[in-house]
Amino acid sequence: MAGATIDHMVSVTILIAAMLIAMTTFNGLFASAINYDRNRQVANKAVDIMNTICLSPGNPVDWGETNTPVLGFGLQDPETGGYNLSPYSIMRLRTSIDSELVEYPMMPGVFFNNLTGNFGNGILAPIGDCINYTDAAKLLGVDGSYGFSIDIKPTLDVTVSSISQNPLKLDVSVKGSGIPLSGATLDYCLFYTGNNGTFPMIVPYSGVAQTNASGSVELDFSVIKADYNDNTPAYSILIYANLGGITGVGYHTHRTTDMNKPYIIPLIYDYDEGEILIAHNWDGETPEVKYYATFYILTPDFKFQQLPISNSTEHLNYGKGFPFWKTQLPASEVGVLVISYKKSAQEIGSIIMPWGGGVLGLHPSFSGGIAPSGYSFVATELRQVNINGISYQVKVSTWSLRG
Amino acid sequence: MRTVEVIFVIVILLGAFVITTQFAVLPTPRQAFGTNLRELSLSTLETLDAKGVLSETVFKESSDPAWGNLQNAISASLPPNMVYNLSVYDLSTKSGGSVSYQLTNSISDSGFGADSDAASLLIASPNVTFAQDSQKVGENMGQNIPLYILNCDDANGWWITGYSPQTLAMDLYRLLSPYFSTTILVNSTSQFGQILDGNPLSGENVNYGVIINTCGESIPIPSDYAATYSADSYAQYCYVFGQKVNQYNWTYVSIVGYPLYYVTNTVEFENNDNTWGIHGMMRVGPSGFNAFLQGLDNEYQDPPPTDFNDNGITGSPGVVQFTSYAYDSSNYYGIYPFPYQTSTRALPERILDDYDLTIRSNDYVFNQVGQWIAGATFTHSRGGAFTSIGLTRIPDIRITGLAILMHFNPTIYNSEFGASGTSRLVTLQLSELGGT
Repeated sequence: MAGATIDHMVSVTILIAAMLIAMTTFNGLFASAINYDRNRQVANKAVDIMNTICLSPGNPVDWGETNTPVLGFGLQDPETGGYNLSPYSIMRLRTSIDSELVEYPMMPGVFFNNLTGNFGNGILAPIGDCINYTDAAKLLGVDGSYGFSIDIKPTLDVTVSSISQNPLKLDVSVKGSGIPLSGATLDYCLFYTGNNGTFPMIVPYSGVAQTNASGSVELDFSVIKADYNDNTPAYSILIYANLGGITGVGYHTHRTTDMNKPYIIPLIYDYDEGEILIAHNWDGETPEVKYYATFYILTPDFKFQQLPISNSTEHLNYGKGFPFWKTQLPASEVGVLVISYKKSAQEIGSIIMPWGGGVLGLHPSFSGGIAPSGYSFVATELRQVNINGISYQVKVSTWSLRG
Repeated sequence: MRTVEVIFVIVILLGAFVITTQFAVLPTPRQAFGTNLRELSLSTLETLDAKGVLSETVFKESSDPAWGNLQNAISASLPPNMVYNLSVYDLSTKSGGSVSYQLTNSISDSGFGADSDAASLLIASPNVTFAQDSQKVGENMGQNIPLYILNCDDANGWWITGYSPQTLAMDLYRLLSPYFSTTILVNSTSQFGQILDGNPLSGENVNYGVIINTCGESIPIPSDYAATYSADSYAQYCYVFGQKVNQYNWTYVSIVGYPLYYVTNTVEFENNDNTWGIHGMMRVGPSGFNAFLQGLDNEYQDPPPTDFNDNGITGSPGVVQFTSYAYDSSNYYGIYPFPYQTSTRALPERILDDYDLTIRSNDYVFNQVGQWIAGATFTHSRGGAFTSIGLTRIPDIRITGLAILMHFNPTIYNSEFGASGTSRLVTLQLSELGGT
């Protein structure tokens, strides 16, 4: 009798233990499956957002070329389709967080989005014309349910550095995914700031070169030298590197003045009309600056075609006078606004403003300042695209806000 | 005994677990959440082919250096943790109609793990030739509209600096004759007079004809018309010409500058010049075009009036830009003049009301700047039209060609030759290194 009782107790104990183990194991299995399912939903949403961004131009399809309200979000170029993003829609993304916005002192209360490579050489667009992260999330149908960020990065890394300023020699290096790119064809155009007259001039020097086995090449501008006072030249250079169907762009600017403080800043005044303010930097130190500005249309084969603009040769004042002049660019043409300026014979500079994302190889990141830290799972999606012929990679990161 | 039963239960539970895990196979984390390799692969192929480089390379021999460039380009465009295999297959059609795929070349940078995905792109050889056949102007309306290009050897041009009417005529002939079933070079002012009288030059129906004046700001004048309609410095002739445009439903095309500012006939005006030293030409002035508009508006008087308004009506809006339709047409017809031009002889919008003219939206070559219309085709409500390209010299006759094609809008039919065996299938297989 006692043996039967012990047998019963042992068997019940083993049974309970076995059931507990089984329940735990099954529970783990189901938990994994549920997690998989949730994460799969996030991954699918990442694909969904990426497809909407890259393969749909949005509504209206030309919203990037106007400042009309956006009814559907998408960055595809409506004219070329496929994996081509609109160079204009990129310009309308509000990529700056509040602390990065620029306020021009002569227009208090008007803030500009700062899509810039280094200060001044970039796009400063009024935030009223830009689409912000919250609106984009609403238009994508993920507001409150999913967080996302869009990172649009040039595929090739084209860097330009100075070897010598007198005579001018530049080193150009081309890399892709960290690998030096040998045999890449470079189309370059250097906009030299001529300093002989009352107003500065822009003298373009263009040419073609090829990278060597280490992915670099030396560009020799022997005709550009320091002046008789040993003042180094001022210039901006744009370089387009092509190899096997991919294209990258790099740029470099040199001024005889503080590199971080150009005397002149171009601001977009009316996005729809292509109106630009060529503005004094309002530093409180520089009473007068003379400038010459012109627009160069970027052709499909990466050459520049000059287009005269209004108020191209003027002077700007701090204090009394003219703090800015308004000019107009052809709103539907991609290119660069090149401005050379001069405070004195010794203080000259150059600044470039792209009209169209991609022209300068800028790196827009659209996340509304929100980082996915603290979320257990972030799905990423990667695609190759072209923006006005320049190769870019678009990375979309997505996470669930529901936990 | 109960222990044995419990063991049976445990065996059943374990069995259930094993069977469940066998059936409930979860995908690997990479399959479930990894980057969508198929779309990445497709986007890579599409972007590589955007400028036609991929199309050119895949049809080259495997020893060609272009393959090395392509390999570098793929390596540079993919993330460092990704490996690839690009394979190219030649497509050929067998006699039974089945398609076979033969591997012609393959490049890769590493072996593949378990998880990979691929996308493919069908590419046509850049050597495939396409032919274009255009619809003839007027064909869709059942009309045979002739194109007259004034190539008069007894007429001089003005504001066509660097060209002669004859060289422009040949260029226009090459550009536009594929779109017209009948293209006639009008080789003398007397032939021009024949048309003005309504008589065909080679059996064509003169009605609805298009007349392109290659003489720029001057218009050829036949001798008998010069003798009859000389009033007001030959503005009277311009009036009569306007009437003819209306009467025969012509489309008159002025390629540059101020229309009908001079009349030209090297025989009649042998001893006259246009006030700028060009002989064989007489200055009419602004009254020429004013008279033309009056004549076109069919303010018919017989005999025609002898005195016309001499006030200039053109303006200088400066740099003007193509309309979006002109951009589209430029691409459609493969005619690529520079889309920004300088206009100094634009016509005012008010002539639309003054002379009962209309401009269809498709007929604007340049965006209107204020009241100024730099280039457009103006159609009269009761018949006849004229195209005025009010740009400064030197003329770009491609703009004239584009304006005419925009007005008549002939369709282009593309056909392909030699397409068989000229397509290749390119597949790009991608895999991520590390992990499973």
